[in-house]
Amino acid sequence: MSSATWRNVFTYNKYAQITARAVRQSLKESERVVAEKRGVTALKYQQWENGVGGQQVFLNPEEDKGVGKSAAV
Amino acid sequence: MSALRMLSSAARRAPSTLTQQRRGYAEVADKISLSLVLPHQGIMQAIFTSQDVVQVNLTAATGDMGILANHVPSIEALRPGLIEVIESGNSSKKWFASGGFATVHPGNKLTINVVEASPLESFSSEAVRANLQEALKVAAGNGSEEDKMEARIEADVYEALQHALGSK
Repeated sequence: MSSATWRNVFTYNKYAQITARAVRQSLKESERVVAEKRGVTALKYQQWENGVGGQQVFLNPEEDKGVGKSAAV
Repeated sequence: MSALRMLSSAARRAPSTLTQQRRGYAEVADKISLSLVLPHQGIMQAIFTSQDVVQVNLTAATGDMGILANHVPSIEALRPGLIEVIESGNSSKKWFASGGFATVHPGNKLTINVVEASPLESFSSEAVRANLQEALKVAAGNGSEEDKMEARIEADVYEALQHALGSK
C-alpha cells in the first residue's frame, strides 16, 4: 500500500488536508457545499518595523482575493 | 494464649472475602466516555460525546482495533476509515473519518480527533465511484510524482469509503 510512502513526499499536515478534501468531495450534494467552504484556507501577513505595521499582503494573491471574512461557527 | 491463636486464625480467614473480584467478564461494568471532536465542531459542541460507550472500533495506522473499557492508555494514528461506536443498548453509530488521532486516557476516557468526519448516510456512493475513477486515472497517468502520490492517497480514501458504504 502506497500509504506508507507518502511520507517521502508530503508532511503529515499536507496528507491530512488531502484525505479531508477527499472525504468532503464524497459527500452528498446537500452537505458538500457547506463542507467545501471548510477546505478553503488563506493567509495574509504584515511586516512590522519600529512599531509601524506595513502593508498587509496575501500569500497567494490571485487565489485569496475571493475569500471573505467568515464568521466563526 | 489460645485466644490469641483464635484471633490470628480468624484474621487469616477474613481476607478471602475481601479479595473477591468485583469485575466479571460476562457483564461489562465499566463504560468508555467518548469524545469525537472535529476542528469545525468545537469542544463545546463536539460531533459526538457519550458516557455510555461499550466499544469503539477504529482503523488505526497499525491495524484495525477495538477499544473496550479499561484499555491501556495509548495514542493511535488513524487511517481514513470507519469509526464505529457501540453503546450499551447495542445500537451502533458509524462515521467515516478522514484520519486523525485516537487517544485513550487513564480512567476510560477516549478522545478521537479527526479532521473531517460524517455519518455514513451523508456520503454518496455515486460521487465516491466517480472520484475513485478520476483518482486512479491520475495516479496511473504521467503527471508529477507529487500529483500521482496525491491521487494515490485520495484513491485509498475512496476505496476505504466504498468498503465502508458497502458493508453498511
